[in-house]
Amino acid sequence: MKFVWRIVDLVVGGIFIYAGAIKALDPAQFANDIDNYKILPWTISVGLAFYLPWLEMLCGLALVFRLFYRGAFAILIALISIFLVATIAAKLRGLDITCGCFGHASQHWNFSAHLAVDLAILAALLALWLSTRAVPARGSDR
Amino acid sequence: MKSSLVRQALILAALALVPGFVEAIYFRDKISWQSPVPASEMVTAAQARAWGSNAIWVDARPDAEFASDHVPGAVSLNEDRWNELLPQVLAVWSPEKKVVVYCSSLSCNASREVARRLRKEAQLPNVFVLKGGWEEWLKSKK
Repeated sequence: MKFVWRIVDLVVGGIFIYAGAIKALDPAQFANDIDNYKILPWTISVGLAFYLPWLEMLCGLALVFRLFYRGAFAILIALISIFLVATIAAKLRGLDITCGCFGHASQHWNFSAHLAVDLAILAALLALWLSTRAVPARGSDR
Repeated sequence: MKSSLVRQALILAALALVPGFVEAIYFRDKISWQSPVPASEMVTAAQARAWGSNAIWVDARPDAEFASDHVPGAVSLNEDRWNELLPQVLAVWSPEKKVVVYCSSLSCNASREVARRLRKEAQLPNVFVLKGGWEEWLKSKK
């Protein structure tokens, strides 16, 4: 069973590394994507566009290499939960959101597709989190 | 365990600041922290009108809004039908012309998104976003 969780680790970590790298390559686009939610001032959207992709990548690497493992979980679960709430709130406010979370390919995903992908990632993170609580991860206290 | 989790999360959050900061310096001339569209890429209705036949007006609003009314001579180009509509913009474009993209109002995103894609994907120079969009154009007509 440990082997299966390790695979899930690598897949989820890989997803965040990929998603972060795509956004880090085009921060202007990501700033626009954040701004589309009409929650934050533009200046903060730009700051987050430079910061969040690297945070995602570092947390993804933390899952892959099992370093700062629990901290990475806490951050990723918080990030994806905030993103889910923002997406639902935007939908309720009638905003046409282009997320771009996975680069250009995801720009034309509809609301249901966004929700399904985010919920699947959140479920995988929570499952991994619960599995590590049962059997502490190697190096998890580092 | 909780303190270790918080400590790990804080370390990751702090580490991500470093590449984010470096990237912000690298992109300092490419992204404006003040406004989603740099002032040099914005144009007022009065300025755009003064360009006369040298301006190509691009309507980034949805098809129904374009059909209901638009700037005389404007061509429709929205993200929903980008591939289908782009050729008609390219057909009227020539190197000396300036492209003015507009959407419904000051708060809409479609014009800057279409302008960005015209610059990046269609490689067009001199692409501007109309400040205040269609609403501003209507006001300037009075």
